[in-house]
Amino acid sequence: MSQCGPAAVTGATLPSPYEAPDLYDLLFESFAFDVPYWLEVANTAGGPVLEVACGTGRILLRLLHAGVDVDGVDAYPAMLDQLREKARSRGLEPCVFQGDMRDFTMPRRYQRVICAFNAFAHCETIDDQLRALRCIREHLEPGGVLVLHMSYPSLALWTDPNGEPVLELQSTHPINGNTLQLWDTRFKNTVGQCQRSQIEVRELDATGRCLDSQRFETLQRWVYRYEFELLLRHAGYARWDIRGGFQNEPLEHDDQQMIVWAWKD
Amino acid sequence: MNESIATPYVDPALYDIVYSWYHDDLAFYRDLAKASPGPVLEAACGTGRILIPTAQAGVDIDGFDLEPAMIARLKAKASAAELKLRVVVADMRDFTMPRRYGLITIPFRAFMHLSTTEDQIRALRCIREHLEPRGSLVMNLFYPNHAYIAEHRDQRMLEREIVHPVTGHPIALWSTQRYDLVRQTLVADREVIETPEDGQPVTHHYRFTLRWVYRFEMELLLRAAGFTRWEVRGGFDGRPLLTPEDEMVWTAWKD
Repeated sequence: MSQCGPAAVTGATLPSPYEAPDLYDLLFESFAFDVPYWLEVANTAGGPVLEVACGTGRILLRLLHAGVDVDGVDAYPAMLDQLREKARSRGLEPCVFQGDMRDFTMPRRYQRVICAFNAFAHCETIDDQLRALRCIREHLEPGGVLVLHMSYPSLALWTDPNGEPVLELQSTHPINGNTLQLWDTRFKNTVGQCQRSQIEVRELDATGRCLDSQRFETLQRWVYRYEFELLLRHAGYARWDIRGGFQNEPLEHDDQQMIVWAWKD
Repeated sequence: MNESIATPYVDPALYDIVYSWYHDDLAFYRDLAKASPGPVLEAACGTGRILIPTAQAGVDIDGFDLEPAMIARLKAKASAAELKLRVVVADMRDFTMPRRYGLITIPFRAFMHLSTTEDQIRALRCIREHLEPRGSLVMNLFYPNHAYIAEHRDQRMLEREIVHPVTGHPIALWSTQRYDLVRQTLVADREVIETPEDGQPVTHHYRFTLRWVYRFEMELLLRAAGFTRWEVRGGFDGRPLLTPEDEMVWTAWKD
């Protein structure tokens, strides 16, 4: 059941941005803010690593390139195709499988499972969240850890304008030099802790004329700190530590990032 | 800030004056109690604002509160009204009553005095153990309103002007609320300013801390405490919970 029901947007459902991996990479492949952190997490794992929701490999391929023994799982075949193609051009041989984070099966167990870049927000219900956390836990070796990054749902998230297009990201097309703009129109349901985003990606030429426009839709379900601890408890994790960012700082303010460390046993 | 400011519960006479105007929840809890198939228990019953009129409506109702002063005042009011009540001093997290109940209530956001997940689960478990089969817990809590917090945090505000129920003196209730969004905690500093005929205002200060709970978080708490079925409404009138302005009214069934 979607918990972003009546108070959210109505109308036809648009495709997921994960069905357009070329465009996804044009916008996000250059993001590197979290890569050093995941390199450190993977390099100190002491065993194999699994990335859940690895997408087109923005992080996974960098780990692989650094010599990490890392596998990946993602729900979208198109994203994985893109990952494999990028890997080929870089001379890398990734081991990635199509699978839903709530119910996947990998042939081996891992010392660390990582879940980056708000991917866990795609679990829309408590049931989704618990199934995903349990499935991840089953894939951990004894002593293994889940490390998960998710933004803390800030006060600004709920008080910023609802239903108005916001220019979230602007970049330059690496091949033709055109301007790419990502416009995000958010429909927020505070009580349902979710936001439906209608995303429009526009390509503009040097004169500002719009050459192309593609529209997508995503749903994100946000999780508060104590709520996350309860989810981990229900999913069987033995202990956890929720940090406030990539510098390992304590979580003290609502505009911070949450980095969840959860130990299998 | 002066950390030694007392809670409102050590001065029950003042408490009764400060909340003398509030009745929004009375009919809801009294009618619920009247419809209960078994005896009723009110947790954090305070000075009996709800418990006494409920008992007077013929309900078999017990109560407890953490503060001896509140229970003492309740007992005084009950004996003045010639009511025989079982009310005791006890902690929500660890209480023992000699019987089981068809309905246990935690009115007036008292659940928000529990400051940790452990305390919350202990209280819910203890309540569940005191329910008869098919019995239910009913409680209300505010939903954290981020727009309100953004606008009013740290501001001293005149919350209400009332009239002293006995002396008739004007009383101004001022409030300053500080919020910790990550710890889900609100610290409220209240000033009760009474102005007698001589025009020299007398000010009482008190402070309380509330830990708010989000909707899905409460579902996980109830589940952790062994409840199997629950429902949340957006007000005492039974409307659905849709916006942060709504009051969360929870019902959880033992089985």
